[in-house]
Amino acid sequence: MINESGAQNGYVTLVKLENVSKHFEKLNIFNDLSFEIVAGQSVALLGPSGCGKTTLIRMIADLDDDYTGKISRNYRKIGYVFQEPRLIPWKSIYDNLRFVLEDDEKINEALKIMKLDGFQDYKPAKLSGGMRQRVNLARALLDEPDLLLLDEPFTSLDLHTKLSIIEDILEGRNQRTFSMIIVTHDVREALLMADRIILLSNKPTRILEELDVSQVPKDIMNAEFLKKESEILNTIVRRWSEV
Amino acid sequence: MPTGVKYVIGLIAILLIWAVVSLIISSDLILPSPVKVIGTIFSELSQQRTWEALGTTLAKVGIVMLITVIFGVFFGFLIGLNDTLYDIFRPAILIMQAIPIITWLALVMFIWGIGWTGPVVVSILALIPQTILSTAIGVRTTDKRLTEVAKVYKVRTGKVIRDIYFGSIIPQIIGAIQVVIGNVWKVVVVSEYMCGDDGIGVLIAWARQSVAANRVYAYTFIVITIGLIVENSVHRYTKKILEGWEAA
Repeated sequence: MINESGAQNGYVTLVKLENVSKHFEKLNIFNDLSFEIVAGQSVALLGPSGCGKTTLIRMIADLDDDYTGKISRNYRKIGYVFQEPRLIPWKSIYDNLRFVLEDDEKINEALKIMKLDGFQDYKPAKLSGGMRQRVNLARALLDEPDLLLLDEPFTSLDLHTKLSIIEDILEGRNQRTFSMIIVTHDVREALLMADRIILLSNKPTRILEELDVSQVPKDIMNAEFLKKESEILNTIVRRWSEV
Repeated sequence: MPTGVKYVIGLIAILLIWAVVSLIISSDLILPSPVKVIGTIFSELSQQRTWEALGTTLAKVGIVMLITVIFGVFFGFLIGLNDTLYDIFRPAILIMQAIPIITWLALVMFIWGIGWTGPVVVSILALIPQTILSTAIGVRTTDKRLTEVAKVYKVRTGKVIRDIYFGSIIPQIIGAIQVVIGNVWKVVVVSEYMCGDDGIGVLIAWARQSVAANRVYAYTFIVITIGLIVENSVHRYTKKILEGWEAA
């Protein structure tokens, strides 16, 4: 019971990976990966493209059970912001949200928070990429998850939309505390959203370094933020070249 | 030029070509003139037996449609959801699809002889494989990314079937209905002709026995007209349903 052992130390562990390995045919994707996510924490898994970050987050969400080792899950509900919005094309935005939770009050509130009120009757194809991703996020936050998983959710979005959605997520987190795991290859996204960054290597993926960034101001115009971003970039260049 | 006008011009052209060819052939046994056939249509439509035969054929068409669509969609859905069932049944369905109608007719005649059951069973056997396969393929090609969303948010199975699977197969079901409606008349009339005891197919068989080519043409014309009206109505109705399931 991971929460009991965690609780003894004054924290609750939501997800714990112990010696997780995954192979795809002869390709070794992960080798003995171990880490844990504590309740209330926001963790970024930062790694190069193709290192298996999405596979890892899918395994945490129990969408992929083809691995060895142990993943203990202690969350009650999760929200998952997929890389692509994954909305039901023939259903309106409202009905897409209703598909996961039949609570009109919460749906209307989520639409309002995500600046989607007025678009509830639109089908996904009528919305811009940014708006579809907002629906994806609204759906993830709708049922008040204790763990929010974000799988490179800003890949196809412009900077303005990306920053605006990040702001919405952080705002949502201020209103109601939930833990986050964000998968990204973008240092800035990781710094903006995470308290802790787990730096991953290329395949076979292993943890290169863990960075505490909880004290870094979440403002891209802040000098300290920019300094830390530059430091992490240097670390990445150094560590990835070592592997 | 409006489409309706183009249709009328097309029909007039067919009638003119028909009139010219029948004049050249000048044999009522092979190709009676359009005037003669149209006259026969009116004279046949004034007789009760034509309406009774039409009613019987229509009833068979309705029953075949209903059973084919309901059972075909249900069974297709079931085997589409399960890889093992799909692999087990697919060869049998493909074989059924390849069997010529004439083989079914022979088998049905051995079992039920001449009567009402034969044409219905033959038509169902000839049309159901396509409906089963279309539905099964629709289920199997359902976007797995959407079912993963349902898994993450622990959506009820009934809701997943209704909102994701059923939504995904609606275009396939409607496509299958359109294929069935386009063929059901031909199959039912042929089956009636071969092993029926009433219906338009039987009237055509009697006309052939009496060497009344104009009546053969007249009945065919009636079947084509009603078939087109039904097909058009179903097409319009299904198009309306489809609009609700379109992406935008």
